[in-house]
Amino acid sequence: MAKKISVYQVAFKNLLRKKTRTALTILGIGLSAWVLTSLFGFNRGYESALNKDIDNMGFQVLLTAKGCPYEAATLMLKGGTGLRYMSESVFADILKNEEVEKITPMLMQAVFDPNKGESGGISAYLGIDPATFPAMKAFLEFRQGAWFTAPESREAVMGYEAAELEQREVGDKILIPEMNIEFTVVGVLARSWTQDDGTIFVPIRTLQKDFNQEGKVTAVGIKVKKEANITALENKLYDLPDVQVVSMAQVKTTIMSLVSTAKVMVFSIALIAILIAMLGVVNTILMSVFERFQEIGIIKSMGAMPWDVFRMIWTETVILCLLGGALGIGISFGLAKLTDVLIRSLLPYTPTGSLVSIDGRLALLTLGVILAIGLLSGIYPSWRAARVRPLESIRSEGD
Amino acid sequence: MAATSKVPNEKTNGLALEARDLRKVYHRGSEDIVAVDGVSLTVRCGEFISFIGPSGSGKTTLINLLGCLDNATSGSLKVGGRTVFDGRKSLSEGELTKVRRQVFGYIFQKFYLVPTLTVIENVLLPYAFYKKPEAPSDPMDILRFLGLDKRASHRPSELSGGEMQRVAIARALINKPEILLADEPTGNLDTKRSEEIGAVLRQLNEREGLTVLLVTHNPSLAKVAHRSVTLRDGKVADE
Repeated sequence: MAKKISVYQVAFKNLLRKKTRTALTILGIGLSAWVLTSLFGFNRGYESALNKDIDNMGFQVLLTAKGCPYEAATLMLKGGTGLRYMSESVFADILKNEEVEKITPMLMQAVFDPNKGESGGISAYLGIDPATFPAMKAFLEFRQGAWFTAPESREAVMGYEAAELEQREVGDKILIPEMNIEFTVVGVLARSWTQDDGTIFVPIRTLQKDFNQEGKVTAVGIKVKKEANITALENKLYDLPDVQVVSMAQVKTTIMSLVSTAKVMVFSIALIAILIAMLGVVNTILMSVFERFQEIGIIKSMGAMPWDVFRMIWTETVILCLLGGALGIGISFGLAKLTDVLIRSLLPYTPTGSLVSIDGRLALLTLGVILAIGLLSGIYPSWRAARVRPLESIRSEGD
Repeated sequence: MAATSKVPNEKTNGLALEARDLRKVYHRGSEDIVAVDGVSLTVRCGEFISFIGPSGSGKTTLINLLGCLDNATSGSLKVGGRTVFDGRKSLSEGELTKVRRQVFGYIFQKFYLVPTLTVIENVLLPYAFYKKPEAPSDPMDILRFLGLDKRASHRPSELSGGEMQRVAIARALINKPEILLADEPTGNLDTKRSEEIGAVLRQLNEREGLTVLLVTHNPSLAKVAHRSVTLRDGKVADE
């Protein structure tokens, strides 16, 4: 049998009086905590996914023909069509820089395919150098087959999604419509969660011939030596005529600046959600204090000091917030994939990896924020309760 | 049940309470309502006094003043020899709280039990805020004395009115008060339960030597006290 009871036990049991109200308040805090955790997770996950995408490119600097830098960034990350062509003579100019470890030329060609989808669509082919590109993209794994057997073969390697979409396997043929050009699929890549999943790779020499673009490329990927000064290299490359230098840092900055606007908007919504949750907590606890006005007076007549009452009510607020916070964090973990899908549908560009990265540290951070909100929200109701005088509760008693 | 701490000493001169010319005036708009009008009263340690009188006679106001739950407009009050109010000067709210928790136990017409706590938890509630060194470590003694030991793990909603009031009495006794103030403790109870509560109060006074101040409308309950004070219009009409 119990021989003592603490203020914390009393506070916890007080919350059980109006179970529905307590549950709804916890739910409100939980939803706010969910939004907050997801936002924190997005803030970190997006940048991390973007970095991963950039790392997976295999090169740190991309050289393209002069054009809009935003389109260039899109080309790098989305594999869109080439803007303009550069002469292969640029290779020598690049390689004479000591910072350069190796380069890989690329030629992007896009063709309208009337059989794609309901009303046709664009098929993109990326011409790559079999001698350098696979080495730079060492992380790519094959689901079936391997890279091309010869530098000028009429062979294709399909990314995971491209193969799924075209329903192709190793040994199948793919046809470039209206040009009557046929490639044999020699490899299908495993899913890499990068833009490579949607790409059809063919030998660059073959593609140059087929599209009459011999001696021309749309981009050159540059792998920089370890410890080399990338900025210094970029500065040297800027001096080359009719090319533009796209560094990963630039790409990242460009995309992050585009996303930051969306982030500000979402953080504003989160702030409003948190304020509403705070008001909900204040309202719930204040109602509870008013309902227990007389009882609080009796507690004070038992010898409770104002601080004791303040602590009791404050504890109730903190319990509500901690339970709501835990619920919200649980929802965040459980619905991380759904949140990912929601965010993807809202943003114009999203990297391929997981956009919402939630872990224990982030959960603790959210819990800390929710706890701080709870402590803040509890001050006024607790202060009101602490001010109750015993007499106020007893006045209604007798004559 | 262990004896309560009501032993008279030199400082108190055997007096539990000493009120001199207590007066309490409430202001309602421009109207002044004199609830207690110059009451002087001495309560000896171990006394059992009942306060009777018609509604509005000032019984509750007087007991609130004597129990340090309210400040008088004028007059003086000593509790256990210590001046808690003199003229217009009163102890601070913190000091008054210390006096309340050291000296008094309160019972009211409403029981004010916490519905989510069990009987034993309700009785132990004062310990959450303050526990006198001499307070019992096993609250079951009090529950046994009040015949509630088998109800210890029940919630208030499972108890009868009489049982609830006995729980409120147990809660008032848990910190070994020197004076028990009971304001209409049987106001919500039928005759049989009222008699039970009266018997408990008398037992506490006779066996444990607890000083008891009882406010009641019930003449038969008032008779259990040693001394009866009749109030009328805020004044002592008969003693």
